[in-house]
Amino acid sequence: MDNLNIGRHISGQFNEDLERIINQVMHMGGLVEKQLTDALTSVCDADEALAKKVLNNDYLINNAEVNIDDECTRIIAKRQPAAGDLRLVMAIVKTITDLERIGDESGKIANVTLESLSGEHKDLLSNLDNLGRHVLTFLQATLDAFTRMDYDAAVKVHKSDDKIDREYEALMRQLMTYMMEDPRSIPQIMSVIWSARALERIGDRCQNICEYIIYFVKGKVVRHTTPEDFESLS
Amino acid sequence: MISVTPKNLSEHNVKLDLNNLSPEQVALEIKNLDLYYGDKQALQDISMSIPKGQVTAFIGPSGCGKSTLLRCINRMNDLVDICKIKGQINLNGENIYDRYTDVAALRRKVGMVFQRPNPFPKSIYENVVYGLRITGENNRRVLDEAVEKSLRSAALWNEVKDRLHESALGLSGGQQQRLVIARAIAIEPEVLLLDEPTSALDPISTLTIEELINDLKKQFTVVIVTHNMQQAARVSDQTAFMYMGDLIEYSDTNTLFTTPMKKKTEDYITGRYG
Repeated sequence: MDNLNIGRHISGQFNEDLERIINQVMHMGGLVEKQLTDALTSVCDADEALAKKVLNNDYLINNAEVNIDDECTRIIAKRQPAAGDLRLVMAIVKTITDLERIGDESGKIANVTLESLSGEHKDLLSNLDNLGRHVLTFLQATLDAFTRMDYDAAVKVHKSDDKIDREYEALMRQLMTYMMEDPRSIPQIMSVIWSARALERIGDRCQNICEYIIYFVKGKVVRHTTPEDFESLS
Repeated sequence: MISVTPKNLSEHNVKLDLNNLSPEQVALEIKNLDLYYGDKQALQDISMSIPKGQVTAFIGPSGCGKSTLLRCINRMNDLVDICKIKGQINLNGENIYDRYTDVAALRRKVGMVFQRPNPFPKSIYENVVYGLRITGENNRRVLDEAVEKSLRSAALWNEVKDRLHESALGLSGGQQQRLVIARAIAIEPEVLLLDEPTSALDPISTLTIEELINDLKKQFTVVIVTHNMQQAARVSDQTAFMYMGDLIEYSDTNTLFTTPMKKKTEDYITGRYG
């Protein structure tokens, strides 16, 4: 939290308000990370009980989003934050939306576990597991950059989303080959595709969160920029 | 610098480059202004250009020199014996601190409104026409027109049109302040200086005055000093942040309140000053 510098307001209550929402976002980030980890484990281990648990726990993330949203609205109404404080509140409002959607995507992955795959398609899941592990690392790095509001880390993480996109495309090609070879497997492969797609979307959402970190620290809007523009940032 | 703002949005909110204004865009140019009260230096090397037809706000903690700087613009500081000023302020390209400047004529061009409403103990009508009468205008028709026009511009006409000849002291605080603004604009100045114009008013009267300021900039260049940062954020196009006699940061208001360049500005507008 080195870059946050929130503890120096004349109003101690304002300090507390900001500290509280930041802690809540970190807590929410922890929940989301756990949900994704569990969803991926449930797929690999074909653990239906764990998959159900993931689906049942989604409400925790939804509640956290609503609570933080409320808290941010209250801060804007009562404190009229400006400059860095305003950017922090705006970054948080946007971050929690993306975190909540990551929670939803984790649910989609858990759903695949519940659709029993026959033995011959189990090897497909190992590819999913690789992509999943990379996305999980990506999410952890994003949450870490958020906790420290670390500009350099956010830029670095943002750029590494390319790797996930490439891995996703490779997996897609592989799955299409399977479908062409054995059209009967299409229903099962489709569910693998949905979860691969969910993982790829999680990568994009992490990238969004990195953009909010950059916005908070530098006041620069880097959304919808081309890779060349982004290159000039670092 | 990356710019991703869609074209239609950026056109909607035209930003002036305050360091490179063309002569036609500049209403006031302050150049290397130093001001001393006795031995104490109250303003240090202030240089800035105030654009025409816009609202410029001065913000900063108490004693930072913002009111002093405002008062320099119509030479109110001349009335303070121990005050010494170096540097220049150009109004339409002419230095107002030139020794041949007619101060009375200058103050006709640069009107001022203070923190507390100060109507004269006369009728509403006489308050508004006071400046015109001094300049020798006594034609009833001209004065009547000026009263209606000024009171309309000050958003007060509908409230007082039926009691123009009653005492101005019977008006509410917010109405008195708008009357004082009407009195200031009756002589059609070029620049209007507002020194904390709403700090003695209730929130609703404050909003009325803020709305009025927004209308006034169509006709005048407005410079406002305010303690209320949210007010500066709401009404001004440019904001200057001052601290201990220095001009710390001067930029367009949207930038200053979302992404200030200087740490001191950030600390002040986020309530970390002190």
